[in-house]
Amino acid sequence: MSNRITQGMLSGSTLTDISSSLAAMQRSASQLSSGKMIQQPSDNPYGASRAIGLQSELDGLSSYASNVQDGTSWTQTASTSLSSINSVVQRVRELVVQASNGVNNKGDLADIAEEVDQLTATVKDDANAQYAGQYVFSGTLTNTEPYPPGASDAYQGNTGTVARSIAPGASLAINTDISGLLGNGQTPGDGKLLDVLRTVSQDLRSGSTASLNSLSGADLRNLDTNLDSLSTLQAKVGAVTNQLQVAGSRILDLQNTTAQTLSNTQDTDIAATSIKYSNQQAAYQAALRAGANIVQMSLLNFLQ
Amino acid sequence: MSIPTLQGLQTALSGLIASQQAIDVTGHNITNANTPGYSRQTAVMQTNHPLTIAAMSPVTGEGGQLGTGVSVATFTRIRNTYIDAQFRGQNTLLGGATTQSSELQQAQSAFDEPTDSGISSQLSAFWGAWSSLSDSPASTAARESVVSTGSQLASTFNQLSAQLTTISTQAAQQYTALTGPTGQVQDSANQIAQLNQQIKLSLQAGQEPNDLLDRRDQLLDQLSSLAKVTVSQQPDGTDTVAFGDAATALVSGSTVTWPQALTPAAGGQLGVLLNLSSATGALAGYKTALDSVASTVASSVNALHTATPFFTGATAATLAVAVTPAQVQTSSTAAAGGNDVAIALAQLRGGAADQRYAALVAQVGSDVLTAQDNQTNSQSLVSAIDDQRQSVSGVSLDEEMTNLISFQRGYQASARTLTTMDSMLDTLINHTGIVGL
Repeated sequence: MSNRITQGMLSGSTLTDISSSLAAMQRSASQLSSGKMIQQPSDNPYGASRAIGLQSELDGLSSYASNVQDGTSWTQTASTSLSSINSVVQRVRELVVQASNGVNNKGDLADIAEEVDQLTATVKDDANAQYAGQYVFSGTLTNTEPYPPGASDAYQGNTGTVARSIAPGASLAINTDISGLLGNGQTPGDGKLLDVLRTVSQDLRSGSTASLNSLSGADLRNLDTNLDSLSTLQAKVGAVTNQLQVAGSRILDLQNTTAQTLSNTQDTDIAATSIKYSNQQAAYQAALRAGANIVQMSLLNFLQ
Repeated sequence: MSIPTLQGLQTALSGLIASQQAIDVTGHNITNANTPGYSRQTAVMQTNHPLTIAAMSPVTGEGGQLGTGVSVATFTRIRNTYIDAQFRGQNTLLGGATTQSSELQQAQSAFDEPTDSGISSQLSAFWGAWSSLSDSPASTAARESVVSTGSQLASTFNQLSAQLTTISTQAAQQYTALTGPTGQVQDSANQIAQLNQQIKLSLQAGQEPNDLLDRRDQLLDQLSSLAKVTVSQQPDGTDTVAFGDAATALVSGSTVTWPQALTPAAGGQLGVLLNLSSATGALAGYKTALDSVASTVASSVNALHTATPFFTGATAATLAVAVTPAQVQTSSTAAAGGNDVAIALAQLRGGAADQRYAALVAQVGSDVLTAQDNQTNSQSLVSAIDDQRQSVSGVSLDEEMTNLISFQRGYQASARTLTTMDSMLDTLINHTGIVGL
């Protein structure tokens, strides 16, 4: 319908076109300089809410990763202590075998008993292992020594579970109930490791034939039984460490894919946007040139 | 019967006068080429009443009518009032869409998403702090961190809620400013009423008040971006202006009826401002949704943090952390290393609160997007209609130049006619009948 064109219309539409050209360029430029396609939710409402979700997921994954790392250090501490206890018990077993061969005099046996006592103290020390200021073997009473050095051999911890959250909705118990291995000492006489070690020491000191017999008999058997339980416990701790490592590598994979998805959702495709930007620049220049020429044109230029 | 001797002079004179007036109009058009709201004018020329001469022909004796030149009957403006009505209707939509878009963009900026300072990041940091606390439940630093990220989250909720309230309040203030006694509505209405009066008087005096009509039309255009404007022309030349959904006409003759109550149905900027400041508007909706997110955060955290409530307040404006670092509960037992509660709280990440918030952000984003699209569409429609209007009413300098030349030539030719007449009369008066003197 616009068959009659006036200068006002021309300059108006030229200005509109130039500014919309410039606005498009500005959008591309800010996408390029910020590296983000989504700077405001209105740029892509669904994408923005998805980016928010993915970002939180990514933050969550790094939380899980640090939980796994922390859990792994914890179980490694426990594992080291148990290995140390294992070698101590092996040493005690050697001493017991050595003591029961019948050639030792009373003094020798007392020396061996002394060593067994020290080794018992070492076992208790190992059970008091700490990770980051927390006693790893006292259940949830992580600020209480499970086996305080000294007379009493009673377990001071509890049977509570210390867990690490390793995935959405999944947590893994990382602590080990060591009281099942070490027991509560001679007072209840539970046949557990500390009870057995104390009995060994007593039998050595007593030096009677009956004691020597029980050294090579019941004590040795009890030591072997406890060594079995110890191995089982070590295997359990190893399994937890393993589980944590598997979880760790799964988290790493997830971090990669999530980061990739997040980047696809909100980051600028530099190549595509650069090309778009060049096109817009060309269009803008053309609009400017054409506008500058057409706005100046008038019959006035040609009237003499 | 013969022709009056001096008739030719009169005819030539009428041509001179008409050409001059046409040139004046052309000049008026050229000078107003860039005046907003100006409609080009033309001098409407018509032939003068002819001189009837009875039995003029010496042969047949029949009479005839002798033309007596030209006169300018009137100066009219070229304007299509139908396009004006279209323009105003679309301009009302544009006014509304522009306001909606700019107000909602303010709300969107208040959400500050997706950035590191928005609520989504604060929520994420809060859940992360619980996760760290679960690794070292006895750590004072980790407890401090839970409380501080919680407080920051709460205060971000408080601020966002306050900002949304402020935007809503500002919308109400803007409405009051526009509709108040010194506002644009009152001012435009007063001017229209005055122009109505002047136009009526001019028409009564038989004059075409073109420039006054232009000014009135322009005021109506401006008014139409504020709310719906319906104009009905009265026989006396005055315009009766119905405004928005006001009960009484805003302007009728020279009477202004303002202030009047409007509702969001008034449309335009005022309608949108009313809607945004109302309890059922978009901003109020965002606030309600934000309150629901805040109360979800508070209730889901408090449901697990059973020793003492972690958060108090169930709205975004009142949410606050109610515990000290020492009171932060990590476990359902008193054991120092227990972390079941901390783990459960860390697992709230990605739960109802996060999802509701993300949905709210998506809603705000798509509302803004819709408003921006509406604005762009209305803008291009208004431009298209304005182009149509300009096509009819706008001043084309090329056209005016052409007119200028033709009227100038017309003037020159009339003057030449006059000279010719003069020379004829000179012959008659000074050189006739001197033979033999």
